[in-house]
Amino acid sequence: MNMSSSPASSPLIAFDLVNKWYGDYHALNGISAEVHKGEVVVVCGPSGSGKSTLIRTVNRLESIQSGAIRFNGQDVNAPSLDINRFRSQVGFVFQSFNLFPHLSVAQNIMLGPVNVRKQKRAQARTRALELLERVGLASKVDAFPGQLSGGQQQRVAIARALAMDPPAMLFDEPTSALDPEMVGEVLQVMKSLARDGMTMMCVTHEMNFAREVADRVWFMDQGSLVETALPEAFFSNPRSERARKFLSDLRSH
Amino acid sequence: MDSILSILREYGVLLLVGQYPNGPLGGLTITLVLSVLGLVLAFPLGVAIALARISPLGWLRMPAAAVIYVVRGVPLLMFIFWVYFFVPVLTGRTVSGFTTMVITLVIYQAAYLAEIVRAGIQGLPHGQTEAARAVGLSYTQTMTKVVLPQALYNMVPALVSQFVSTIKETSLGYVISVNEVTFAANQINSSLMTQPFQVYFILAAIYFCLCFSLTRLARFLERRINARREGTFRPATSPALAATGPIASEHAA
Repeated sequence: MNMSSSPASSPLIAFDLVNKWYGDYHALNGISAEVHKGEVVVVCGPSGSGKSTLIRTVNRLESIQSGAIRFNGQDVNAPSLDINRFRSQVGFVFQSFNLFPHLSVAQNIMLGPVNVRKQKRAQARTRALELLERVGLASKVDAFPGQLSGGQQQRVAIARALAMDPPAMLFDEPTSALDPEMVGEVLQVMKSLARDGMTMMCVTHEMNFAREVADRVWFMDQGSLVETALPEAFFSNPRSERARKFLSDLRSH
Repeated sequence: MDSILSILREYGVLLLVGQYPNGPLGGLTITLVLSVLGLVLAFPLGVAIALARISPLGWLRMPAAAVIYVVRGVPLLMFIFWVYFFVPVLTGRTVSGFTTMVITLVIYQAAYLAEIVRAGIQGLPHGQTEAARAVGLSYTQTMTKVVLPQALYNMVPALVSQFVSTIKETSLGYVISVNEVTFAANQINSSLMTQPFQVYFILAAIYFCLCFSLTRLARFLERRINARREGTFRPATSPALAATGPIASEHAA
């Protein structure tokens, strides 16, 4: 009975027939898919297709009604799960940054390590500085979020998520709330993370980012995962009619 | 004007400390003690009631809502009589007017403060809670580290006016013979007989100075916190340099 697969090939995030309804509305319709370690998956699709809902189910910001989601082998919706400990292992970046405006940049980043991981403040601050260096904002360590541009805030938010040393990072439309000239600086940081081998799941409309960085593209429409493909194949020759329409709509403006 | 000054010369000490040291402490001192006790005890109780009221646990929510509806549904004066006559029945001991007044003020103000605090908490963007939970903070940590510090700050104007009304409401202690400043003024008026306008003008001026300076102090604190968050407190470093410098070099390398 030696049928267990080797840990290396087991997926880091696995969706198994996931269903979610808001009342009568079928928000997620039988989603089954996997994200492997080191993989960068871009989730795209028209608005209202369930992309954000899907990514938010991974750290249980959204509940599901049936199916299962496993993160690192752990059933995300298991009643016995220590949800706070679990969430601290999943980096999450929001569309609207959601930095804590009453805390300085350093305090924003240190909040998790100090309160959840019980790190010493000095140690957490050193780490915060390293991470700020990495996102190119070392000089802003003692600034407050209100003093930063949108792009800078989102980079701090990425540093805040990285501070917990998560095995995977989830990005929920990280550049959608930004002015166009600030999109690039955030994508740069995300690209460098991908180069360093971070497992990433990104909901984004930045198709150039998907083409350049993604290992796989997931296309969603009306709550269903319609198509998963290599980026090259997806952009040059999408299999589904809905994906073809989505891509032509994107290009037409 | 002369008569006011001569009243102050004659009865200033009575207004300030009552009969003390020949009798019990009273006057403005007791008004201040009542106010401070009222604020210091009512505030944490108000926060606790507010948290219970928005708690996911029904057995906490119901009694909190009940307290708020009952207290808001009865006049303060009636509430004072209630405590005055029923607390001795419940405890089997006589209770001083002063204690009665403290208990009444604390319960009464806590109920009103609770509604202010609840509004402040629910007025925060939901993203703040989500971001805190996503980092792995527990419900309690989210409240104490992220939600309350912001909510309380946003509520400062409403809280201050509630505090000011606490100070003014201490004057109702007069009806159960608490030796506070209104009681002292009334004593003076009774012995002078002929100068009610002057006596009550002094009393009004005392309340006004007390309440006005509290309002000004709150405004001052508010400005300071604002200045710190917006960075006008100290010179900010050039955002352009900080934003592009390290990223650009990383890109080049």
